[in-house]
Amino acid sequence: MQVLDRPLVVSGELAWLGGDKLQRHVEHPNDETATIADGEVTQQRAGKSPRHFSLSRAPQLQVLLDSFVALLSGDAGRLQQAFEIRQAGDPAAAWTLTLVPRDAKVAKTVTSIVIDGDGKTSRCMRMQEADGDLAIDLLGPLAAKMPAQPTREALLALCQGAH
Amino acid sequence: MVSQRLKVSTDLRSFMPAPTTPDQRLLMEQVGDGPGSRLLLLAISRSCPAPALPAPAGLALPAQRASCARGTEPSMAGAGQSDTQLAALSQGLVGALHNDKRYSQVLNGSFDLGALPSGLLPYRYLLSTTLDMQPLDEPYLADQLQQRLDDLSSPAASLLKGLLPRDPTLEVLKLAERWTPARSPEVRDGVWFSPQNEALLLVQTTAAGFDPDAQQQAIDGIQHAFNALPGHAGAKLEFSGPGYFSVVVGAQTRHQADWIGRISSVGFIVLLLLAYRSLSSLLLSALPIASAALAGIAALTVVFSEVHGITLAFGFTLLGVAQEYPIRVLSHRRAGEDAVQSVRALWPLLLTAIASACIAYLAFYASGVNGLKQLAVFTIVGLLVAGFSTRYLLSRLLPGRVRDVADMRWLAKARDLVDRLPRPRWIPVVVAFAIILMLAVAPGPFWQNNLAALTPLPQDMLLRDARLREALGAPDVRYLLVLQASTEQGVLALSEQLQPKVDALVAQHAVDALELPSRYLPTIALQQARQQKLPDRAALQRELTQALQGLPFRADLFQPFLNDVETARQLPPLTPERYAQTPLGQRLAAMLMQRDGHWLGLGTVSGVHDVAALQALGADSGGNVRLLDLKAASESLVAAYRTRILQALLVASVLLVLTITFALRSLRRAWHVLAPMTLATFLVLAVERMAGIEISLFHLVALILAGGLGLHYALFFERDTGDPAEQRRTLHATIVCVLSALLVFGMLAWATIPVLRAIGLTVSLGVAFHFCLSILMAPHTHASED
Repeated sequence: MQVLDRPLVVSGELAWLGGDKLQRHVEHPNDETATIADGEVTQQRAGKSPRHFSLSRAPQLQVLLDSFVALLSGDAGRLQQAFEIRQAGDPAAAWTLTLVPRDAKVAKTVTSIVIDGDGKTSRCMRMQEADGDLAIDLLGPLAAKMPAQPTREALLALCQGAH
Repeated sequence: MVSQRLKVSTDLRSFMPAPTTPDQRLLMEQVGDGPGSRLLLLAISRSCPAPALPAPAGLALPAQRASCARGTEPSMAGAGQSDTQLAALSQGLVGALHNDKRYSQVLNGSFDLGALPSGLLPYRYLLSTTLDMQPLDEPYLADQLQQRLDDLSSPAASLLKGLLPRDPTLEVLKLAERWTPARSPEVRDGVWFSPQNEALLLVQTTAAGFDPDAQQQAIDGIQHAFNALPGHAGAKLEFSGPGYFSVVVGAQTRHQADWIGRISSVGFIVLLLLAYRSLSSLLLSALPIASAALAGIAALTVVFSEVHGITLAFGFTLLGVAQEYPIRVLSHRRAGEDAVQSVRALWPLLLTAIASACIAYLAFYASGVNGLKQLAVFTIVGLLVAGFSTRYLLSRLLPGRVRDVADMRWLAKARDLVDRLPRPRWIPVVVAFAIILMLAVAPGPFWQNNLAALTPLPQDMLLRDARLREALGAPDVRYLLVLQASTEQGVLALSEQLQPKVDALVAQHAVDALELPSRYLPTIALQQARQQKLPDRAALQRELTQALQGLPFRADLFQPFLNDVETARQLPPLTPERYAQTPLGQRLAAMLMQRDGHWLGLGTVSGVHDVAALQALGADSGGNVRLLDLKAASESLVAAYRTRILQALLVASVLLVLTITFALRSLRRAWHVLAPMTLATFLVLAVERMAGIEISLFHLVALILAGGLGLHYALFFERDTGDPAEQRRTLHATIVCVLSALLVFGMLAWATIPVLRAIGLTVSLGVAFHFCLSILMAPHTHASED
C-alpha cells in the first residue's frame, strides 16, 4: 500500500439514481455522501461545505460509474465501449468478469476492475489501481461479512468464496 | 535610410490626448496596460462540419443539426461526448500556452496545481491564510489527517494521493481555490463551460491591449497552438476582449481605407487625364506630393523616435492639399508660356496658401498630443517641400508646349454661367443666420466625448463579449479600485486592510467580485508573522507523531511535509520581484505600478451593482483608496483635449487673418478670402449637427483640412486679374481641385468605419460649401464691371 500501513474499511450504500447519476453514501466510519451527476462529483461531509470536482479528475469514479451503470441497466454496448471485457466461469453459477478500461488516461490510474458474481447477483468488485493499491467492494449480503482487520488474501477468498 | 529608421508604432494611445490629472494618467496606462485590457476571452465551441460518419437514419441528422445550431443536447451521451472533446481541447490549449512568454496567465477552470512552480512550493505556508487562524499543532493535524483518510476512501483519492506526503493540509489546493476567479462559470469535465456549451478560457497577454500588432501576435499564437491540437477540426475557437477588438478595428479600417484608396486613385488619374490630356503632365504632377511624403517621413524619423501608424495615414490624407499646387500650375499655364515664368506669376498666391495651411497645422503641434504633433511636423514639412518642389523642380521639368485650358469651349460656357450668377451682398448674412439657427435647434449633444464611439464594433461582437464576460465573471473594463501608498509593501498592506470591507461589499451584492493585489501576495510583514507561527522540525515531528496515533498512515510518509515546513521557516519573504518569474507574479505585476514617486495598486472589479457603495470604500482614506471610473476619466480627458485644440485653433485663426491681410495688403480683400472660408466651415458644422452627428476630434481635423482647401478656392477666386482667359483658367483649376477632393473624400464618406466616414463626409461637404460660397462671395463681377 502506497500511503497506509493497514487497509481502510468503510461501509455504506451505493445507489444508482438513473441515467448517469450515482450516489455513494458512506455511513461508517464517517458520514459522507458523494454524488456523481453531469460529469461532476459533489462530496458532502457532516459539518463541512460541499466539495466539487470534475469526474475526469477521479478516474476510479469514472470506472465505477461506467461499470455500475452498465451492469445495472444491462447496457452491454456501453460496457463494451468503456472496457475490454474478459469473462470466466459459468454464467449460471460462479463467474468472474474482468474489465480493462479502454481510455488510456483512466488506465493510468485504474488498471482493471474485476467483478465476482454468483448467478444473478454480484458478490464483489475489485478495483486494481495502477500504483498497486487495491480497493475491494463487498456487495450485497457479503458486505456483512467484512472482517474488522481485513487482509487482501482474506477478502479475495471471500469474493471468490465457496458457495 | 528613411525606411530603415522609420519605426511605426501601432499603439493607439499616442493618438489620445495628453493626460493632466493623476486619474487621467492612470487611465492612459490602464487603457492599454491594465489587467482588464490585457484579457482575452476565449470560447471553444463545436463547429458544424459535415458528419464524419454517414448518418445511420434519417432521424439522426436533423437532431445533430439542431444540436449544432442551437447547442441543445440531443442526448445525455451525445452531449457528454462533445463536452469531453471540448474540455480536452481546452486543457490542451492551456498546456500549449502555459510556458509561452506572450501570456502571463491562462485559466480554464481546472485546478491549477502547478500555479506555484515547484521551486516556490514551500512558500505555500507563507501565502495561505491557514496559519492566521490555526497553528500546525496536534489537534489541527489530527483533524486534517482524519479528513485525508476519508479522502483516500472517497472518490477524490486519486486527486489527492500524490499530494498527501508533501502537503497533508492541502495548502496547494487552498491557494488554487483562492486564485481562481471569484465568480466562475460552470465546470464540466474539469473546465469552464458557458450555458451555450462552449469551453471558456481566460488568457492574459503580456502585451498591452491597445497595441494591435502585439495583440495580433498573441492571438495568432493562440490560434496556432489550437490548430496544432489533435481533434481541433471539429471545433472552432472564438476570441473576444479589448486586445482582439483593437486587432479587428485596425484590420477593418485598413481594409476599407485600402479599397477606397484604390478606387479613388484610379478616378483621380482619369480625372487628371481628362483635364490636361497629357500623360507627362499627369506623371509630373505626382512629383510635389511624392517629394512631400518622403520629406515628411524623413522629418518624422529625425524628430521622433517612433512614428504612429495613424500619423502616416492622416498625414497622407492632409497632404492631399499639396495636390492643388501642380493642378494650379497646369491649369494656369498659357499656350507657349514658359513654365518657370508661369509658376513665378502664381507663386505669391501659392506661397500665401502654403503659409496659411502651415499656420493652421501649427495648431496641431500646440495641442500637446504626441500623435498630433507628429502629424503637424509631417504635414508642415510636406507642404513646404511640395510648394518649393512645384516652384523650383516641376516648373523646370514640365513639357515646353502645352494646351491652354482657357481655350476649352465648355470652360468658357461654365465661366459665363458663373459670372451671371447673382451675388447679392446679403448672402453672408443669410448663411450666417441659417448657421446659427441650425446650430441652435440641432438635436443631441454637440460634442462626441466617447472615444469608443469612433471605433465601434459590430453589434454581434459586443453582445458576444458581454455574454462571455458575464459567463466568465471577467472584470469590467470601466471601473478600477486604485490603492495608493508610498511603497509597494504599503500598497499590499492597504490591500490587506481593505479585504474585509471588500468581502462585506461582495456579501451585500454591491459588487460581484473585487480582486485586490494582496490576493496574490501578502505583505512581507504578514508572511513573516506566518513564518513565526511555523513550528521547528522537532516540534512539528512531535505534534505529527501524536496526530498520527491510531491512524493507518505509514510512519515515514510525511517526511516531505516536514522538509517543506522547515524550508518555509527559513525562506526570505516572497517579494513581487522574486514572484515575477511565475505566471501569477506576472498577474500581480499588472496590478502594481510605480507612478510619480508613489506606488499604485489596482483592484479589478466585476459586476458593479452599487457604485456609491464602492466609492464609499475610499471615504476615510484621504484619497489613498479611490474608485476610478475609466469612462468618466476618458471623457474628461477628451473634453480637456478638445478645449486645448480649440484654443490653438483660435490662435491659428488670428494668425491666419494677419497673414492673409499682410499678403494681400488689403483688409477688404482679406475679407473676401476669409469670409467665405469661415462661413463654409461653420456651415459644415451646422449641417452635420442638423443631421444629428456629434462632433469628434476627427471632425475637427477634417474641418481644418477642408478649410485649407477652401482657402485656396477663395484666394484664387478673389484674385483680381481683369483677364477673362485667366479667370477661365482659375475656374478650370478650381473645378479640377474640387472634383479630385470630392472624388477622394466622397469615397471615404461611404466607408462604414466612423472615423473614415467622419473625415470623408466633413471634407466633401466642406469642399462643396467652400466652392459655392467662394464663388458667390467673390468680388469678380464688380471687378470686371469697374
